[in-house]
Amino acid sequence: MTDATFPSDAARIATADLPRNPAQRALALNREMDAVWSNDRGLWGQITSVSHTTLGLRFMATAFVFFAIGGILSMLIRAQLATPDGAFLDTELYNQIFTMHGSIMMFLFAIPMLEGLAIWLLPKILGTRDMAFPRLTALGYWCYLFGGLIMLTALLFGVAPRDGWFMYTPLSSATYSPGINADVWLLGVTFVEISAVAAAVEITVTILRQRAPGMKLTEMPLFAWYMLGTSVMMLVGFPPLIAGSVLLELERAFGWPFFDPERGGDPLLWQHLFWLFGHPEVYIIFLPAAGAMSTIIPILCRTRILGYGAIVAAILGLVFLSFGLWVHHMFTVGIPHMALAFFSAASVLVAVPTAVQVFAWIGTMWKGRPELHLPMYHILGFFLTFVMGGLTGVMLAIVPFNWQAHDTAFVTAHLHYVLIGGFVFPMMAAITYWMPLITGRTRVRGLGEAAFWIILIGFHGTFFIMHLTGLMGMPRRIDVYPDNPEWIWLNLTSSIFGFAMTIGFAMFALDMLLQMTLGMRARRDPWRATTLDWAMPLPAPNFNFASQPTARHLDRPADEVMLALARGEGVLPGAPRGRREFLVTSVGAARPDHVALLPGNTALPFVLSGSIGVFVLLMLAGLYALAGAALIPVAVLIWVWARGLAPRGALDGIEVAPGLTLTVHHHARQSLGQSGLMALLVANGALFASVLFGLAFLSVVTQGPPAPLAMMDTTRALWTMVVVAGALLLGMGAVRGEAPIWALTGLLANSVALIALLAGLLPVLDDPTAHARDALRAVMAGYVGLHVLVACGMAAFVLDQHRRSEIDKLARGAWPHWRLWQDFTTVTTLVTIIALIAQQGAA
Amino acid sequence: MKWLGAMLAGPTLWAVVFVVVYAAHGIICADGLSPSGTSQTARITLMGLWCLGLLAFWPLFRAVPQGVGLRAQLPRAGLWIGLVATVFTLFPVVITSSCQL
Repeated sequence: MTDATFPSDAARIATADLPRNPAQRALALNREMDAVWSNDRGLWGQITSVSHTTLGLRFMATAFVFFAIGGILSMLIRAQLATPDGAFLDTELYNQIFTMHGSIMMFLFAIPMLEGLAIWLLPKILGTRDMAFPRLTALGYWCYLFGGLIMLTALLFGVAPRDGWFMYTPLSSATYSPGINADVWLLGVTFVEISAVAAAVEITVTILRQRAPGMKLTEMPLFAWYMLGTSVMMLVGFPPLIAGSVLLELERAFGWPFFDPERGGDPLLWQHLFWLFGHPEVYIIFLPAAGAMSTIIPILCRTRILGYGAIVAAILGLVFLSFGLWVHHMFTVGIPHMALAFFSAASVLVAVPTAVQVFAWIGTMWKGRPELHLPMYHILGFFLTFVMGGLTGVMLAIVPFNWQAHDTAFVTAHLHYVLIGGFVFPMMAAITYWMPLITGRTRVRGLGEAAFWIILIGFHGTFFIMHLTGLMGMPRRIDVYPDNPEWIWLNLTSSIFGFAMTIGFAMFALDMLLQMTLGMRARRDPWRATTLDWAMPLPAPNFNFASQPTARHLDRPADEVMLALARGEGVLPGAPRGRREFLVTSVGAARPDHVALLPGNTALPFVLSGSIGVFVLLMLAGLYALAGAALIPVAVLIWVWARGLAPRGALDGIEVAPGLTLTVHHHARQSLGQSGLMALLVANGALFASVLFGLAFLSVVTQGPPAPLAMMDTTRALWTMVVVAGALLLGMGAVRGEAPIWALTGLLANSVALIALLAGLLPVLDDPTAHARDALRAVMAGYVGLHVLVACGMAAFVLDQHRRSEIDKLARGAWPHWRLWQDFTTVTTLVTIIALIAQQGAA
Repeated sequence: MKWLGAMLAGPTLWAVVFVVVYAAHGIICADGLSPSGTSQTARITLMGLWCLGLLAFWPLFRAVPQGVGLRAQLPRAGLWIGLVATVFTLFPVVITSSCQL
């Protein structure tokens, strides 16, 4: 450590002047990197891989398989609707199929696809070697796969969800949806969402802390801006759905009546929570696609993007405004005029930042020299389709029209124009653009163009017609229409074109397959790009760069940069210490801060996600006591996971460039782990806010039957909460001590809070099945209890680190992480106490 | 981080004002203060909150860095986004009935 330069010293070093490392033999350097960064061999290597390149591609490949399955389901729907008395499917099966079609396309295709693209591309385009938390990437993938398989298995056994992809209550309540169908959706989707939250955390941290030295925020590639907006939206947008799913599962499993109007609940609460996620979700899907477009268009037009700043401002506007639109999905449920007007205005306004981007892309094409390669076909398909979808979106934002078109095939047509136009076409452009980097091969000419035209014609033939079907009054989700002969030819036409579109997608898949297997070897940087993603060998290795790029390598022809980096002239060349390392930089100006040491290949993410899967399956089987017990191995594995971060080997400073020595992350003042935990707490805060919203909604807006007289001993409950709050405040003080005695004090304080909750509050809570008020109190007590339990675990972990002498004056171990958690737990507990007192007062 | 905070200030203020006005509207309608949407107290309350929100942009505009270049322009753009969104999405407090279904 003696020769290490502290980050503050490093910060003074002008990143533009980072000296060059001496050139080495590129082949030898490549071999050295490969020995450290490559996956293990065989099937075991696939299970233990934590590489962003492997996992990003696997995310995308798996998502494409789910897309194919969802597509087959859509063909079954079109076959059923081709004739008015379709006997192809019975109503029960039809309901399962359209529910699974929507759920698969949203949760198992679109989101994982964007995650996969981000995980695969971001480190490459930002000039780093991996995502911030490689094991978390792997955990996310396995949770996604296992959750998706649970949902697919349910479909095979005829117990798939059947209540629509939005699972409205009371249809999805235990009364109207007995059996495990709805549980499959609630538990399966929540399981899959672990991957979304995990991806959001690491995307945020990777963009903010791992850009190449000198790549300022205001100069980073637009794809990174788009993904930063997306990841923040995911952190804030997914928790309301997780909260809603947990509440609905609690209602179904244990009878806690959050959505039951006869016991103080309200079905509209589900709609609010679902659409608080559901509408931002549209932009969560659109923004990465737009990021790909903003990257590809200028390169294929041989120019620079027009209006970089305007696009960043548009992203900023979209990220925020998209959270103010959710009620436009609920215009017909009986909402006062003024609230309708708020959300109608916001829904119209959001078209402005969208239009800014579309005009910027058109302007870029106008000023450049567009080259009509295959990705450009899909980009043009995007323009045609998405703009039409956007215009029908503005129509639906207008309340009187919305009332007329609500729940008709018009809305189905609109959403497919937006999602296929705004996501699928750009993704096809992205895949065809980056395929040479993925496979190292060129494509077989002709097939891709034919696939594009068939998809485009098939799509518009299917869904343009569906606008008319909807305007003629055909509702969504019906399986027969014997009394409406005027819809027959429209539906038949949609079905015929739908099958054509499917053939087009099959041809697209075949084109990719042929490129992977039979394509000629691609030349380096085939598009003559200036972004760092092409400044590496084809196909891209796991480590991306033998030495990491610096300011002098930015915005230059990629093939020139590649040679310099391959010879080790960038920073942190090779892997001379035999471990995976990358540079961590500061948030704004991307100054070198420290070197992160990464974990190697491990099966831990696979085992941990399997353990969570056991919990989900036991919940589905209704074995709740066993499900609770299944959380013990999950907790043990999380402990093992954290232990895996313990320092091993020499922690001396590392000379990343001549004259610049940086500390390793164990000695860093602000590690990636702390940044990641902050991002996770943003999501956790959104979850807490969602529950608070539920509390406020049911207490203020819902006009249900009054709650029965509280039997709870309020004096005892109040004193218990005072003890809990006092203990947590003591814990907050202790966590600032950073000495073994204070770790012990913190552990004791949190233990007292936990015991007070279990022994003082739990016995006096009213029966949560009696009324939504009592159910919400139980949920909030559970939320606080869980957080205090985790705080106990973190205190114990820090004590263990002291026992093992892993903490000293330079290495703070898990103290900073515990401090963040302890502060969050204390603040949310205090807010909970105030909210519950206010709820009692209002009652 | 400070610069990111400055860029987010405008839209964040819009989000806060939007939530506060929507919540106040919910409370007013739930409590029956203005069931027909004609109560002057209800309208003045909502308009007052809206105007307070608009006024809150003033110190932010004075605080953001001046100058040219993206680093100075983006925080200002953020403020304009927030201000326009606050004006446009909440102007119904002036013209629409409060609680009528």
